[in-house]
Amino acid sequence: MIYTLLVLSSPGAGHGARTAADFALTAIGRGHTINRVFFLDEGVDAGCAAVVYPQDESTPLDNWAALAEEHAVELVLCISSALKRGLLDSSEAQRYDKPAATVHPAFSIGGLGQLIEAAAGADRLMTFGG
Amino acid sequence: MLPPGAFDREGFLRNLQDWSPEVAQQIAAAEGIELEQAHWEIIELLRDYYARFDSSPAMRPLVKYCAQQLGPDKGKSIYLLRLFPGSPAKIGSKIAGLPKPDNCL
Amino acid sequence: MGTSTRKRQLLVLRHAPYHGAAARAAVDLALAMAAFEQDVELLFLGDGVLQLLKDQAADALGRKSLGRILSSLPLYDIERVYVDAAALARFAIAADALVLPVEPLAEAEIHALMNACDQLVSC
Repeated sequence: MIYTLLVLSSPGAGHGARTAADFALTAIGRGHTINRVFFLDEGVDAGCAAVVYPQDESTPLDNWAALAEEHAVELVLCISSALKRGLLDSSEAQRYDKPAATVHPAFSIGGLGQLIEAAAGADRLMTFGG
Repeated sequence: MLPPGAFDREGFLRNLQDWSPEVAQQIAAAEGIELEQAHWEIIELLRDYYARFDSSPAMRPLVKYCAQQLGPDKGKSIYLLRLFPGSPAKIGSKIAGLPKPDNCL
Repeated sequence: MGTSTRKRQLLVLRHAPYHGAAARAAVDLALAMAAFEQDVELLFLGDGVLQLLKDQAADALGRKSLGRILSSLPLYDIERVYVDAAALARFAIAADALVLPVEPLAEAEIHALMNACDQLVSC
């Protein structure tokens, strides 16, 4: 089964984002494919490279980074949601004359077309949070 | 003529209130377009669209709006492509002084 | 785009217009789906019906009017727009007080619509 995941809530609000990462890891473990994870609205917070958690708590970012690095899962932040929250990659930071890139390299920034395209090629679109 | 500092590195107005027909000519010249009556008709239509719908149009609604407002001969993507080669909705909106798109579409 | 079969897609808009940016994100998704020629229908559910009210004074909040943006849906060829009839009744909103022609649906009809669609996104 091919899944596209849509994440709508911030890692700091409820369990939607964490459940999405757990779902992705479990689905891959069972031989399914995650063709893209798209983060919209508050969901884009997951891609912030600058978060710092206490040492004795788990950092949500680590789960996503592992999915991207170990399983080549594509993680895409909605560009318009990301810009509003100060989540910029280096090219957007330059485009808007902002001082720093804040998106973790496991993530890319893209348009809603990336969600639509992935969902069109998937058997299921699963929404988390929101 | 506005000074170069009035535009960002991609040639969009930093302050939308700076827009005037003269500024439109300046932006168009930077895009290699010389504005004629047919261009002005679309520029006005884009500004009208923005005022009415609080958003800049994608290509498809722009074509449809042109057809509604200006008649079927002008409501064609080929007509708009001739006036604003490449990406009519984007380049037209830039010249018309609409907000810089966030590349969402 | 690698679409092999055409899916009937339903986008469910549930959020009040200016509480956070969720409603705007959902409207952007609707417009993007139409711009990418997807077969999309909209259902405004619960608080989401408030997005369709006329004369929203959004500029007082420094925001853009969702009602005005939604009034451009016909230009995007989004023709099938449904609203939650119970929510309209709860807010005492008449269907003709909205920015668009809509089809009010009772609860059973909403269930049937959701069942009939291939893909459902709710945000």
